[in-house]
Order: sequence, then C-alpha cells, then structure tokens
Amino acid sequence: MSNKNSAVHAKKAEIFCRDEARVDWHSKALWTVREKRDRAAGSLPEWEQLRQIGSEMKLHTLTNLGQYLEEFEKNCLENGIQVHWAKDGVEHNRIVHKILADKKVKKLVKSKSMLTEECHLNPYLEQHGIEVIDTDLGERIIQLAGDPPSHIVLPAIHMKREEVGDLFHDKLGTEAGASDPFYLTRAARAHLREQFLSADAAMTGVNMAVADKGAVVVCTNEGNADMGANLPKLQLHSMGIDKVVPDLDSASALLRTLARNATGQPVTTYSSFYRGPQKGGEMHVIIVDNGRTDMLKDKILAESLKCIRCGGCLNTCPVYRRSGGHSYNYTIPGPIGIAVGAQNDDTNSIPWACTLCGSCSYVCPTKVPLDKIIHHHRRLKAEAGKLPYGKSSYMPLVGNFMASETMLNCSMSVARTALKVLPGSLLKPFSGAWGKYRELPTAPNSSFEAWFKKNRG
Amino acid sequence: MSSKDYILNALKSSAIAPQAMPVFNVAPRIDDLVGQFETNLNTVAGTLHREGGLEALQQKVDELMAQGLQVISMVDGIKGNRAVTETAHELRDIDYAVIPGDLGVAENGAIWVNNKNLGHRVTPFICENLFLVIEADTIVANMHQAASKVTLEKGEFGTFIAGPSKTADIEQALVVGAHGACSLNVYLA
Repeated sequence: MSNKNSAVHAKKAEIFCRDEARVDWHSKALWTVREKRDRAAGSLPEWEQLRQIGSEMKLHTLTNLGQYLEEFEKNCLENGIQVHWAKDGVEHNRIVHKILADKKVKKLVKSKSMLTEECHLNPYLEQHGIEVIDTDLGERIIQLAGDPPSHIVLPAIHMKREEVGDLFHDKLGTEAGASDPFYLTRAARAHLREQFLSADAAMTGVNMAVADKGAVVVCTNEGNADMGANLPKLQLHSMGIDKVVPDLDSASALLRTLARNATGQPVTTYSSFYRGPQKGGEMHVIIVDNGRTDMLKDKILAESLKCIRCGGCLNTCPVYRRSGGHSYNYTIPGPIGIAVGAQNDDTNSIPWACTLCGSCSYVCPTKVPLDKIIHHHRRLKAEAGKLPYGKSSYMPLVGNFMASETMLNCSMSVARTALKVLPGSLLKPFSGAWGKYRELPTAPNSSFEAWFKKNRG
Repeated sequence: MSSKDYILNALKSSAIAPQAMPVFNVAPRIDDLVGQFETNLNTVAGTLHREGGLEALQQKVDELMAQGLQVISMVDGIKGNRAVTETAHELRDIDYAVIPGDLGVAENGAIWVNNKNLGHRVTPFICENLFLVIEADTIVANMHQAASKVTLEKGEFGTFIAGPSKTADIEQALVVGAHGACSLNVYLA
C-alpha cells in the first residue's frame, strides 16, 4: 500500500528527536507504565503460567481458526447478532457504510478500534457524509488535532497537557491557558456525553470474541464503549479473525493479563460481554481478514496473531520510547507494529527500527516472539530485494567484517580514538538520527575484551 | 466465492503446527477473599462498605434524595426516587444508580452485573455515581472461578465493573470520572 506520508523510520525518528527534553519525557512516561506493569505481573505467582496458557490457547485457536469462526458465527446468529465477513479493509468499510446508510445514520460514536484505523474507516465514512466521533479521550484528542494515534493503548501519549489545553480551548471552548488534566477531562466528558446522547449508532472494536457463546468482549477504562453501544439502537463491532477464543474460560484468562500488562491495573474498569442486542436494537459483527490469513501461511509471522493488543511491547521498547509512535510508517507502532505491518511498509525500513534486544518478547502476555518475527521480516525484505538505503550493498561487508576478530578489534580501537580526538561535529553524522540531537558518549580507555583479560581473565 | 468462503478456504493453508488446548489449572489464592477484594477495589478507586448492609445504604440514599438528587434503585429493599424510564436516554440526569452485582472477584475488585438487573443496559454507565450491592459469600478468588459462575444467557449483556470510570490519556495523569460513573461504592449485603 503506498502512502504519501511514507518516510523511512530513521527520518521520522529524527523529527521526533529534535526536542531532546520531550524525548526524555516520552521515554520516561512509558517506562513508568512498564514499571507499573512489572509490579502488577510480579504480584501474581502464576504470571508465567498465565503467559504460557495465553500463548497455547491462542495458538490452539489459530490452528483451528476456521472451525472456531464458524462456531462463533452460528452462535451469534442464534443470539440475534448479524454477522458479516470482509476480505479486506475496503470491503469492511463498504459493509459498515451500508449498515449505517440503511438506517440513515448521520452520527456514529466510536470507541477504540485499531482495526478501523487499519482499514481507514473514519475518512471513508466522512466522505460519505457520516459524522464520526471518536470517544476514547485520547482518540478524541488526536481526532480534534488531526493526528494519527501514536500508541495503541495511549493514543495521545505524544502530546503535552498544554497542547491538549490549547486544542480544547480552540475546539471545545475551555478556558485559555487551562491545562489541568482533571479540568480538561471533565470538559471532554461533558462534550462527549452530548455526542453519546445524540448518536444514531455506535461502533466498537473487539478484545475477544467468545466462540461457544457467540459474544464479543469489549474492554475500556473510560466506559465510552458501553455508553456508546447501549444508547443508540444500532451497535456495530469490528474484529480481526484473530480475536476469536474458544470459550469464557479463555476470555477470562486473557482478562487476567491484558490490563496488568497494558497499564499495571488488575483489570480494565469495564470488561463487557455482548451476547445480543439490547431490546428493540440491532447488533452487527464484522469479521475481517485484511492480510491475516496471509500471515498465517508463514509459521513465524503467524505467531504475531496471538497478540491481544495490550501495548506492553511498546512501553518497554527502547527504540519506540525514543523515536515516538509516528515514526513507524504504520498505524500500529512499536514491536507489534513492525511484526504485523512490515509487509505493508513501502519504505522497507521499519524492521530495522529495532535493536533485537528481545525485551518485547519477554513482557508479552501471550509470548509472541516479537524479536524473532522482526528478524524474520529483515530476511523477507532481503529475499525480496527490498533492503533499505544501501543495506544490500554494505551489509554483506559488515557481515564479513564482524566475522573477523582482528578487523573488528582494530576498528573498535580506531573508533575509541576517534571519539577522543575528533570533534563531535565530524562524528555525529555517523550515528544517524540517534546522535544528531544528543551528545556522543565518552570513550572508554580500552575494549571490554582487553579489560576482561586484565581484570578477570 | 463469498468472503466467508474465501477466508475459510485461505485458513486451510495455515502453516502453524497443531496445538492442544491447554488445561487451566491455576491455583487460586483463597485466603481472606473479602480482604483481597477490598484491597483491589481500592486500587481501582472504588470503596467497600463492609458494615451496615442495606440499612446503611438506604440511609445514604435517603440523605442524597433529601438533597434533591436523582436516585434509581434496581436493588430489592432499596427505595430511590426514580423509576425505570421509557427510553435509555431519559436516564441522563440520574445522579446515583443502585444496582445488584451477581459476584465479586477478589483478585481485581471487579463485580459482575447482568442486564436482567439493569432496566436499561446503559444504567451503570450513564449514572453520575454508582452503588453496587453484593453478598459477601459471592466473592470468588479469581477470573477463572468467575468465568464458571457468571450468568450470560442467550441474547444477554453482562459486564465486570472494577471501580469508577477513569482515564490517564492526558500526560498519564489519572483522572477518575471519564465517561461512565465518577464514583463507585460497594455495599456488602
């Protein structure tokens, strides 16, 4: 898919890195979330067991996906839920529009759904004259700002409170200069309440689809999904084929890890199970493929479909924290964004927005082997002849070079001397986006190997 | 070929090795369930009232009504001043809703609420403040146990509610009171 905003990851990261204080703030804010996650995970002695159960249960479901999807559909129909299947984003958007147009819907309230972002539903509906109101506070902020989300759970994490204050002053009429989060949140509550009460239809994403019940589970902290779905008489839920789980036990097991891994909460405020429409209402579920069956054909990429979109891998990723969610050339940023989005990345750069440190894989609640998948994407890009910015010419040289101990040691020695004697202005260009707005490190006197031989050898 | 057939057909080429469904044999933490529940309810910004039961709750409701506040009660034995409305939208001015919960979950402070006890499904979300009532002996240890006990019949809606609505979408600053209820008080009956 071509994107007019396409730019390689390093280029977009460089824009984010211009303001070092902001980068530090962004990194620290996310690391705080990671620490909360660690405390929540550490409070359960069975945490590792839950990760294993989550992983095996999702894999089991994926290996029998056709059967579970059909079971889910059959049970939905018995519950009075209408089910639609969409091959891709275009078909998904057409189905949604038809449902809304048949009911003459003018205003749709929407809660968070990365799938509808993936399908670019909002602009499609707006072109067809339907007003779309994002109702998650973070999503409403970025919708009013005209920005895409920069995080899958914390969509406005890139914005400072003063910027939100200015935006709300401009769009919602809050007091000029007011930036208190409590004041701004209450203003948004009042504004969005009017939208919920005047909406003709509501749409949500799906956290889990329970096959044996024919029910969808929607989790929020704000209550926006339930305020939306339970007021107008028409409710729509879009889900990727990977969202189905066999039964309530499976859904409940994932609910134990989802919020703990996302924000460190023991569970989201609301975990709502819709097993049919409200009295006199209509409920539709749209099941979407959009490239997922292709991913299942590659046994390494397939594992990325175990993801439950907690965002834990973003919070821990050193590259994400210091390059921002808008640098990935895909709707979903961070390690999981690379895993599920690299095949659509026309800049062929995002698999390299990763140090292969593996932290993401260790925090993942369903054990998605993210670093392995990202490494695999590099191989796929190389095999397809799509290595970015000269990597195809110099990577083989780097390979030979690093395989030779003498050459490597020699060059490291040169690098240490260079860091000491050459001016930063001469060296900085070699560190790329990362070094442009930061100081270079002080060079140690010897290599680690030499130090080890002297002190420990 | 329909899109359904296209997807089901494509799934036949899946490359993943078969994986058996795991057994969920997680040992529950069963010491002091009410204490665990209270700790976790506090974590999610809710408050537990262990003593006084329905009598204390009715007294609280009477005080609120005396201040002119709008209270709807779905709990037998608690009398509010508002009845279930014709449309869900007419609940927009409800200050307090009193709703029975089917069970509590010790590990996270969540309470399961089924739509049979809601009037309109939107009641626990649209009210400014929420009172939930549960019986102490319905508190289970964890979500595995909850899954086997919740009621969710064909066509129904049910939800786990853990605390009042909240958000941290502006600079990660926690604000209690987003779109759903702004406070949650839980009474043990």
